[in-house]
Amino acid sequence: MERRIGVYVCNCGTNIAKVVDCDALEQFAAALPGVTVAKSYRYMCSNPGQEMIAADIKEHGLDRVVVSACSPRMHERTFRGALRNAGLNPYLLEMANIREQCSWVHHERLPATEKAKALTLAAVRRVAHHEPLDPMTAEMCPTTLILGGGIAGLTAALEIADSGYPVYLVEKAARLGGNLARVDLTAPHLDSARLLLDERLRRVAGHDLIEVLLGTRLERLEGFIGNFSATVTTGQGATAESRRLSVGSVIVCTGYREFDASRITHYGYGKLPNVVTSFELEKMLRRGRVEMKSGKTPRNVAIIHCVGSRSPEFHGYCSRVCCMTALKYAQEIKAALPGTAVSDLYIDMHAFGKGAEEFYRKGSEVKTLFLMYDKNDRPVIRAAEPGDGCDMLIEVNETLSGEVIEIPADLVVLMVGMEAREDAAEVARLVNISQDREGWFIESHPKLDPVATTTEGIFIAGTCAAPKDIPDTVAQARAAAARILGKIAKGRLEIDAVYAEVSDDRCSGCRVCNELCPYSAIEYDADRRRSHVISAVCKACGACVAACPSAAIQGRHATDTQIMAQIAGLMT
Amino acid sequence: MAIRVNPQLIDELARYGAEDVHKCYHCGNCSAVCPHSEEPFVLPRKVMRHLQMGLERKLESALDPWLCYYCGQCTEECPREAEPGETMMSLRRWLTSRYDFTGISRLFYRSWAAELTAITIVALATGIGLYAWGSTHGDITVYDGPDAFLQSSAIHVFDWTMAGVLTLLLAVNAARMWYFTVGRQGIAVPLGTYLKQAWLLPVHFVTQLRYARCGKKGPWAIHLGLMLSYVTMFVLIMFFLHEMQAGPEIRWQVHAFGYAASIGLVGTIGYALHGRLRRTHTLYRHSHESDWIFLLLLAAVVVTGIAQHVLHRAGLPLHANVAYLVHLMGVVPMLLVEVPFSKWSHLAYRPLAIYLAALQRDALTVPAGARAAARGAA
Repeated sequence: MERRIGVYVCNCGTNIAKVVDCDALEQFAAALPGVTVAKSYRYMCSNPGQEMIAADIKEHGLDRVVVSACSPRMHERTFRGALRNAGLNPYLLEMANIREQCSWVHHERLPATEKAKALTLAAVRRVAHHEPLDPMTAEMCPTTLILGGGIAGLTAALEIADSGYPVYLVEKAARLGGNLARVDLTAPHLDSARLLLDERLRRVAGHDLIEVLLGTRLERLEGFIGNFSATVTTGQGATAESRRLSVGSVIVCTGYREFDASRITHYGYGKLPNVVTSFELEKMLRRGRVEMKSGKTPRNVAIIHCVGSRSPEFHGYCSRVCCMTALKYAQEIKAALPGTAVSDLYIDMHAFGKGAEEFYRKGSEVKTLFLMYDKNDRPVIRAAEPGDGCDMLIEVNETLSGEVIEIPADLVVLMVGMEAREDAAEVARLVNISQDREGWFIESHPKLDPVATTTEGIFIAGTCAAPKDIPDTVAQARAAAARILGKIAKGRLEIDAVYAEVSDDRCSGCRVCNELCPYSAIEYDADRRRSHVISAVCKACGACVAACPSAAIQGRHATDTQIMAQIAGLMT
Repeated sequence: MAIRVNPQLIDELARYGAEDVHKCYHCGNCSAVCPHSEEPFVLPRKVMRHLQMGLERKLESALDPWLCYYCGQCTEECPREAEPGETMMSLRRWLTSRYDFTGISRLFYRSWAAELTAITIVALATGIGLYAWGSTHGDITVYDGPDAFLQSSAIHVFDWTMAGVLTLLLAVNAARMWYFTVGRQGIAVPLGTYLKQAWLLPVHFVTQLRYARCGKKGPWAIHLGLMLSYVTMFVLIMFFLHEMQAGPEIRWQVHAFGYAASIGLVGTIGYALHGRLRRTHTLYRHSHESDWIFLLLLAAVVVTGIAQHVLHRAGLPLHANVAYLVHLMGVVPMLLVEVPFSKWSHLAYRPLAIYLAALQRDALTVPAGARAAARGAA
């Protein structure tokens, strides 16, 4: 098997060259059997670098290429493109990582150069066994399934439907609007939540391309990106009706539920009649009357932040919206009841983002009494004695003054945090996405890919992924819609040629791989008693390849021969 | 034992001028720039916090407001426009009303109309009374000598009687100030410490040295000028009234002091009036009604005082007597209203606060001193 391999050593400016002797590496590579040409260059990823590779492929008739440079995560796509441009199958490339795995982690020139030589030799040995592979394509169904009819679901549905593609909007409850429908005004501009929702609800209801399925739950989701089949059930018991929907993508925006305040016993929620949650206050505000259980007007209102949030016992995270909501309450209560004193007990005032600091300022301008407490020393609420002139007394160690104080209160508002919904685990299982320790759905990358998940075609938006406010939720919903519209616009899906394959002849149908696959990419055909890999879903992690007791699974582009050759090269 | 928060106190203090204290979010910039802020007197943040929370007893026992001279740096640095300087000023007004056991001060500070009415009534009573007395005992066309309209010997007695009453009132208020800040606080101060620190009272009264520690020296010089002129005039009137009034020749040994004091008073009052009108300094940006009443009354007294002197020397005894009567119609209410119940009282409270602060500090550092003594003995 005589190959014509080209080896290209990148100096990466001085990133590699300052530690690795690139000229020595070039000479070493040039002398290797099968290597036709070896070159060292300042920036191999630059246009002249890529053109040099392409020119060599043509001039020397190269049939394999090794680039000794950075991590393939950085530039594999770049160099595959260079091969494609020169008329060579892009999979005939192998990269040796002599930057992250060598020059950046070593200081001594000689051993580092030896290591770079070993890595390059391993790549040369491996690339000899590379085979040309062709990416597959699949149909992209332009219909989207949206789970959850809150502000995120409504926004995403309109975004996609307005672009001309059909949407199924599935909502478990009997009405749309989600948690936002329970809110009166919104911080920091005091816009009415009802107005925010109304326009969207009206447009969704009248949209030809949106089918709203109320009282409906997802039962099953099969298939892969572009080609999902969803089973949904409307209603319960005897009247339940199931349907199968063909969809190309799914957006999960199932939202959050509020923390159960009765779990914190010293706040007395459920025992003291005038301790209410933020959502109960929203109800009062929407009714237009803030009052005590007895119907009397409260003279002193206390708002307690971080109920269930930022606590080692309950949730360690910050729920992000409660600080601004508390400031909103202070202003709404002061506007409705000017004679009422409002105290605001907080740990830290998180006033980030547009308009928030100004809103905080407005909160103090209406004479809210801000009292700071330590998160390890929470306030305690008790019923007052008849002579106290108030309904309750809140005792707290106030950190700004260092005093232990008692605050009179007739109404206490607990700013309950957000937590993952009780059915989040069920949803995660159905659509095959993961949850973090707190139950929130995990994004593909927290910064660079915040709405995608590790399952292609499944997107997440809004507060099912983490606590967030309305602008962030809407932005995510629109981002998810944009991602889906991009895929639809492309028409056909390109599926990476690198995936695992099951050899029917060898598979015993033991199903070990079925449960192991982290992407649920392996299906079992009960009739034939064989497993097979859905190539579009497979991420080529190799878990099944290693686990298969019959050695029936082969990883394309990571064959045993390739890996053994690489190891042999490394050990030489 | 937890202290009860009083959310209403902040509204009460707004009537004394602290209208923006709720805006403070305790960044501490004010205390960082304040030249007087040092443990345990963290000016002005600490009392601002106590005020926001309505910790009434803590505020009553605070000396902090008296240790502030309103240089205005804190107000300039405040990112929230919470007016820490003005808050300290308002707390001084509120404390004045708290030290005063009669409740009159509280009434005056909360209602300028009440203060003005009281001043008017006292002025009219003074005018009518002195006119009636002067007309029966003398002649309004005669300024000095045995037939004088208002004889200096009689006025002298009148002055000293009033001084006695005012001293008594101030002494009671000062005792209450001691009780709030030391007595009630359970701070054990040995008698020796009271004596050891007594020198602070006259020194700070006369020099106002702490004021000089504020960033700019100008306001201290002006304030010192006003106070020294005032005191000079006070001494001249209380001890040399007869020599002051006799004329028409000028007695330089007393009148030289009188002229110097007059120039000092006119200059500093003019400066303060201009400052408050034009809001030239942070200190002058907010003027409570009591600030105006104090300044205008003082200005009226000074102008009429100078006028009666000039008219007398100009050979116009009738005009001089009228000016003198009007002068006294200003002086008496100024002393009766301003000294025990309003702004004037700070002349007594400031040095006293410095003294009491030293007592507090000494009492708190006694253990360290005792340790040192024990080490010395060993």
